[in-house]
Amino acid sequence: MSQVSPRVGIVLVSHSDRLAEGTADLAGQVSGGTVRVVAAGGTDDGELGTSAEKIGAAVTDAETGAGVLVLPDLGSAVLTVRAMLEDLPGARVVLADAPFVEGAVAATVTAAAGGDLKAVAQAAEEAWHARKL
Amino acid sequence: MPESSETITLAVDLHARPAGALAVAAAQFAAAVSVSTGTKTANAKSVLGVMGLGATVGQQVTVAADGPDAATAVTTLIAILADAAPVGG
Repeated sequence: MSQVSPRVGIVLVSHSDRLAEGTADLAGQVSGGTVRVVAAGGTDDGELGTSAEKIGAAVTDAETGAGVLVLPDLGSAVLTVRAMLEDLPGARVVLADAPFVEGAVAATVTAAAGGDLKAVAQAAEEAWHARKL
Repeated sequence: MPESSETITLAVDLHARPAGALAVAAAQFAAAVSVSTGTKTANAKSVLGVMGLGATVGQQVTVAADGPDAATAVTTLIAILADAAPVGG
């Protein structure tokens, strides 16, 4: 948990570029800006959808030595993420099953605190139980 | 295990950014740390839990810790709450 150790990176995969970017901004600000949170939203031509190329580039960008957690917004993004992972053998990537916004914020805060990939993934998945009211 | 607690009156609403700062700081301690408004209690290491408190300006909030570094944990988190800038979000 030393301040100099690399942080787990976060990749936010959304069908919408703006949703991914906005959630990345939010998670980055809440956690104090010490974690690499990379948005991978929309298709290659800017339409609603997902892009294996964008996700792959985001994973590479987010990796600083501690692994990467990938959060999809909807179930159909999972197929694209899985296809991308097959193209990146050996990458230290975990795909989280979590609510998108809450999972992104919880995972990024845990990464900022120096949590390892397992702890960051667990923080995202525990977000299913977080109540707002 | 040493226990420690301290209460502060919030100068600002406990919005997302101070909640994040609190959770990041709390995670550095071995002690179990909680934040309580009297009616609700959250694990201070859980940003979503802290945000879910819905703690607002003027409310009394208690930080309690139980563990080897409990006293430092409480001092650190109370300082973060005291320093939280009065901005939205």
